[in-house]
Amino acid sequence: MSYAEDLRRVRTREGRSVGSMVLIALGGLFWGYLLLRWLINWEWVPFGTPGEPLVSPETLGLTGGTATAFQSLPQLAEGAYITVLITVLSILLGLVLAVPLSVARVYGRWTKYLSLSFTELIRGTPLIAQLYLLYYGLNLSQFFRGLTQFGPFTVRTPVWAVDLGPLKVQTALWVALIGFTINSAAYQAEYIRSAIESVDPQQLVAARSVGLTQREGILHVVLPQTLRFAIPGWTNELVYLIKYSSLATFITVAELFRRADAVASDTFDYTAMFTVVALVYIGIVITATRLMGYVEDRVALPGLGQTRGRS
Amino acid sequence: MSDPLLRVEDLHKSYGDETVLRGIDFELERGDVEILSGPSGSGKSTLLRCVNRLTEPDSGTIYLDGERVSGAGTDVNELRRQVGMVFQDFNLFLHLTAAENITLGLRRVKGLGKAEARERAMEHLDRVGLADQAGSYPAELSGGQKQRVGIARALAMDPKLMLFDEPTSALDPELVGEVTSVMRELADEGMTMLVVTHEMGFAREAASRMMFLDQGQIVERGPPEQLFQHPEQARTAEFLQRITQLHGGEST
Repeated sequence: MSYAEDLRRVRTREGRSVGSMVLIALGGLFWGYLLLRWLINWEWVPFGTPGEPLVSPETLGLTGGTATAFQSLPQLAEGAYITVLITVLSILLGLVLAVPLSVARVYGRWTKYLSLSFTELIRGTPLIAQLYLLYYGLNLSQFFRGLTQFGPFTVRTPVWAVDLGPLKVQTALWVALIGFTINSAAYQAEYIRSAIESVDPQQLVAARSVGLTQREGILHVVLPQTLRFAIPGWTNELVYLIKYSSLATFITVAELFRRADAVASDTFDYTAMFTVVALVYIGIVITATRLMGYVEDRVALPGLGQTRGRS
Repeated sequence: MSDPLLRVEDLHKSYGDETVLRGIDFELERGDVEILSGPSGSGKSTLLRCVNRLTEPDSGTIYLDGERVSGAGTDVNELRRQVGMVFQDFNLFLHLTAAENITLGLRRVKGLGKAEARERAMEHLDRVGLADQAGSYPAELSGGQKQRVGIARALAMDPKLMLFDEPTSALDPELVGEVTSVMRELADEGMTMLVVTHEMGFAREAASRMMFLDQGQIVERGPPEQLFQHPEQARTAEFLQRITQLHGGEST
């Protein structure tokens, strides 16, 4: 097949849509399996045992590391739930903090220095040190023990009821959420700050000239443009956070990496386990970037954040 | 009604060592269309921006409709609600459609409801001949169309005074006419306008008065015909002659 023919196939819409369909099919299998395992764990479906595969590896004729990996998939699915939960909640809560932090950084008088100090402190210290400070130093885990009886989270205790008992894992998860939220807020604030600075300052001048206050101008004119500019950087932070969330393993949160690590330590099938866990992370990351690409396209406006048809 | 619409007294402004305005005094009566002319760096744009305090003057006093609107105890947002501004680079809100560019101020500043704001926006778009572009984003409009939306956005707020900061300078020559004709209609309807422009055709036909600025001072002021034909100052004569050669063609 000629190079030109290759190029034509790559460039045509048909070629692209076949690629997309394969990706969507793989994604459907991936998330379908995870969802099924979560439902089994919550006992929302009348079949399956939490933590046990539906078909034993022996039945499929698997041996060695492959069998170990297959046997551990339900465990990894549970871990993936925690990983997704930590990532989604931390990135969103982090965003809620990051917007005022970045606005303060650009427009604030004295709050600018507060925001700057916070950002530099968080970005200047290792995430693992921040998690250790919260978990071992401040002993937040003990603090949250009093909260475990509240809210919808107790309903999902079976998902976390592994290894160290539900109570401890659950409270550690709260600590991890706080740690990642604070950490992510600092990084997101930087992405958003640079996006604010890429909005033409005359936009705010125009808003003020119509009679809008500074606050209204920022809210209704600057930020809607900013958030569109910020999406690519923000996606980058999301991708980092998915993988950084594995640090929660060191404060005992039974997330994806910890599950794989535990099985690998027991069976010595390190290669198989870490290969499989890497594939699960890739699945989550590719889904995240595709979703954000979709969001970016959806919120794009003529002349603002358009990725397609840009000349 | 003896008060002039706008009275500017002894306005001074410096940026660091550079003095931009050195004591500007003038008045505008209701319905006046005044052209601000002068060489680059003479302080025209700064003077215009001082009037609605997008630039804060160092000293001096501004009265709008008899009320002091500069200095301590005055509300800058209140002033801007009464003074419309049209920019050289249009400065339309890029994330909003032509209609939304107009409704934003109507809703947030004037507190109109959604439907009412929309209706007002459409009236003003219609007035500048752009009702069919209501749903277009700025990136989809030509320069002339953008500027007409910019004018509609300012007009929709019912200003007592309209400021134009070189409204046609960023436009391709063939698009200048559509903007100046909207401005001329506005002048005919009795709007009080303060216009920084090099469009001498517009100045001749629409302006009631003209002010020539140089080095932060008003050098000469009078009816356009007088400044064009019998300027008292050599600087005025020289500048207007040069500018007329460049921009003097009949504006349509």
